[in-house]
Amino acid sequence: MIRLNDIGVTFGDFKALEHINVHVKEGEFYTFLGPSGCGKTTTLRTITGFIKPSEGKVFMKDRDITDVPIEKRNIGIVFQSYALFPTMTVYDNIAFGLKIQKLSKAEIKKRVARIAQKVELSDEQLAKAVAQLSGGQQQRVAIARALVTNPSVICLDEPLSNLDAKLRVQLRNELKAMQKEFGITTIYVTHDQEEALTLSDTISVFNKGVIEQTGSPNEIYNHSRTEFVCNFIGDINRLSDGIVSRMNASGAGLSPENHHYIRLERIHVNDASKGGVTLSGTVESMEYYGLYIKYTISCEGQSLKVIEKNDGERPYEKGETVSLSFSPDDLMIYGPDGREAQR
Amino acid sequence: MKKMRLDAAFAVKLIGGVFFAYLFFGFMLIPCLNTLTSIFTVKNAAGQTDPMAVINFFMAGTMKHYVFNSLKLAVSLVITVNIVGTSLVLLTEYFDIKGAKLLRAGYMTTLIYGGVSLVTGYLFLYHSDGILTSFLLHYFPNMNASWFSGFNAVLFTMTFACTSNHMLFLRNAIRGIDYNTVEAARNLGAGQFTVFFKVVLPTLLPTLFSLTVMTFITGLCAMSAPSVIGYDAINPEIVRLAGSSTADESFPQARAALLSIILAMFTIVLLTILNHYERKGHYLSVSKTKTKLVKQKITNPVVNVIAHIYAYVLFAIYSLPVILIGLFSFQNYGAIKMKKLDMSAWTTINYYGRYDFEYTTPRGTVKQSVDAISGLFSNDKTLSGMKISFILSTFAAALGCVIVVVACAYIFKHRKSGIALEYSLLFPWLLPTILICYSYRVFFNSDSVWYTFGQNLYRGKNVMLLMIIAYTVVKLPFALRMIKASFYTIDNELEDAAKNLGSGPVRTFLKVKLPIIMPSVLAVFALNFNELFKEYDMSATFHSSFATTYAMVIKSMTETDARAYYNLNAAGRQCASTVMIMIVSGIILYLVYGVGSRDITERLEAKKRRRALLEKLGLVKKAQPEGSPADD
Repeated sequence: MIRLNDIGVTFGDFKALEHINVHVKEGEFYTFLGPSGCGKTTTLRTITGFIKPSEGKVFMKDRDITDVPIEKRNIGIVFQSYALFPTMTVYDNIAFGLKIQKLSKAEIKKRVARIAQKVELSDEQLAKAVAQLSGGQQQRVAIARALVTNPSVICLDEPLSNLDAKLRVQLRNELKAMQKEFGITTIYVTHDQEEALTLSDTISVFNKGVIEQTGSPNEIYNHSRTEFVCNFIGDINRLSDGIVSRMNASGAGLSPENHHYIRLERIHVNDASKGGVTLSGTVESMEYYGLYIKYTISCEGQSLKVIEKNDGERPYEKGETVSLSFSPDDLMIYGPDGREAQR
Repeated sequence: MKKMRLDAAFAVKLIGGVFFAYLFFGFMLIPCLNTLTSIFTVKNAAGQTDPMAVINFFMAGTMKHYVFNSLKLAVSLVITVNIVGTSLVLLTEYFDIKGAKLLRAGYMTTLIYGGVSLVTGYLFLYHSDGILTSFLLHYFPNMNASWFSGFNAVLFTMTFACTSNHMLFLRNAIRGIDYNTVEAARNLGAGQFTVFFKVVLPTLLPTLFSLTVMTFITGLCAMSAPSVIGYDAINPEIVRLAGSSTADESFPQARAALLSIILAMFTIVLLTILNHYERKGHYLSVSKTKTKLVKQKITNPVVNVIAHIYAYVLFAIYSLPVILIGLFSFQNYGAIKMKKLDMSAWTTINYYGRYDFEYTTPRGTVKQSVDAISGLFSNDKTLSGMKISFILSTFAAALGCVIVVVACAYIFKHRKSGIALEYSLLFPWLLPTILICYSYRVFFNSDSVWYTFGQNLYRGKNVMLLMIIAYTVVKLPFALRMIKASFYTIDNELEDAAKNLGSGPVRTFLKVKLPIIMPSVLAVFALNFNELFKEYDMSATFHSSFATTYAMVIKSMTETDARAYYNLNAAGRQCASTVMIMIVSGIILYLVYGVGSRDITERLEAKKRRRALLEKLGLVKKAQPEGSPADD
């Protein structure tokens, strides 16, 4: 559906994007994930036409749209701030694009009503000013406004970032359901890795203007190809030289040159059956989350973070000696250049 | 197609560029430079050009006296206006004074009542035969009946006339204070007045500093009060000299120019100081969650009583002229002459109607003075002044807004090249109003200005156009500052969103951006209109019989009143005219602040209320279940 071929964007001397290659398939939920200033929004704005790339081409359904003006691309956008027109009613906001297309009043009314029903906006809400709606309702208006013109693709630029945590989770689920219902190709920009993992079919992780890795959420999380991705996605422990030496002493054969990481949930406390390596440690602190418990355990001079499912058993107490077991296969190993290393 | 669009954009930019260059060079820079050069090109008695003649005249003669008087007035005003203005705001916004809403209404009367009408109103009350002076003389026969004259009277009048800015800007500053900071200081053991001086006042200082500079400039450039009450300040002297002839005195025009340039130099120095201070940065609230200021009860009962008395005395000073002028505008000329309310002398003649006046001469013959008594709507001169002021103010206020809106749209799109445009529009701020008007009067009173196509803009009715341009130019800096601030509130993503939905730049501007900034544009229009509608200084400088403004007519009423059996109710018509100004200004402010500044939520609520009322009255059918989409 959308293809970016070797895109580069330069602002003066600053290279904002380099060699960006993306292929978004029809009906896919595709996410650009990365920290602030990594280039994800610049990539999105290149697709929507707000930024003209210095290099490379943008294709939509195999048609080169690099020089096609914004309004001719048939791409809907939901902005970070929603960009709802504050001086118009909800109805007028949604109808704005249709009026520009010079559709008849009856047709506009029909299409607005249809989309409003789909995004669950009532007639009463349509007559209101946008400022009278809650954050969640405003998001629906922004989505309705973007979808009412029947775009081929919808782009969402961090649409949940201004909301509180609870509403964010709720709307995340609604967004996913809506995308499934409309079946529309969606490009989503976020810096929130949890949002990316829960919503996406495919994720591209950005860093300093380049894509570090593209893959499914599972690939990104469990098989991070670069040290940056493995650090950026989820919480992780980098094993100290002391632990690596201990593992090598038991025949693990790890190169001390490399960087070794293990996710928190892959370390098991007092359960030697789950791993090939077992070390001894002392509980330093405990954080109780209800669903799970997060421990910090001192082991070979390093503080390791460990997550244990809350199974109703007595939590380990501070100062208690425990054993830590994990499988060497669960290690994620990177060379000094930050790239995935051979085991 | 794309090339055509580019060409069109270039053409628009080119036309805009030419227009702004024409405005800046033609109506700001060149006329004022002409004034400057005229100082150095005067001819002495021998007919030789003597660049130092005017300056020598200045150094040797009495001209310094005008400069000193104006400086004295400006310095005094800074003190009195800041004391009164700050106390007005504290009494209505910070301290818990009973009847604060009523007090605020009284203190804000200067927003609709000012300029020459205010000065004549004060004269009506405080002059040697004024209502209040007569009343006081009745009880204190030994008091000085002429207490309200000269410097003291000008200072008194201007002190109360110049607090509008405090009521607008200082009020906003005090309302922006985070109440948590007051609570925190109290919690740390600070007393009520320590909190005020250590926590509240420092946050107000930047605003107070700006107001101080503005007050200083106002005092320096004072015109209405000195000329009506009689005080030798710079501006009235400039106007006098501008209208004088070389046959009467030495190079009057060049001396007027020199005084104007002296004013300009003072203004430039002050604005430079203000700019420097503003750049150093204002106090910024670091509060994450601001709490609304809670009014402070004055705990000391004695201080509390004194504060209440002070508040209501000020209220009386502000509202008495308004109330009495309102009442006297419905009294006949006899009652007005006697400055005593006569319950049997109510009339509407000061507003409407006309009749002749018969009187007996010392030789016993009865004579008739035709149309000696007439209402403002029946008096051709008054009506014409009102019409002219209305037309000039409307055009100038509207033109100023249009120019600034277009300029701001450019400035926000082209940050770098926009700076030049911004500074050119702020340029009139460096020049005293009187310098601009004087320069116009002299420079455009000629058939040889090529860029006006040889038209003498000061001659005949052309002067109306010249005055509209002068009004517009003078109001540009204020309009720019206010409207530019509102442009900052436009979220950049709105433009992107409109663009994405297919909207072109013009449509995006008209449908998305303009409605957002419209309340500010309307506010600027209203404030500028109200000021121009009652302005006296500029029209007095132009002093053309083809554009006699309302304020000039009002001022002339004081003089014509003195002539026996002619224009007998001039003072009554003056009261009615002042009431008229208040009504027009009040309506404009209501329409703009009350109606025009409503956001869409308030408009929808108002629509709902109207609908409910109409339904209740049975004038419309009951509405369908709510939510029928807005009409296109």
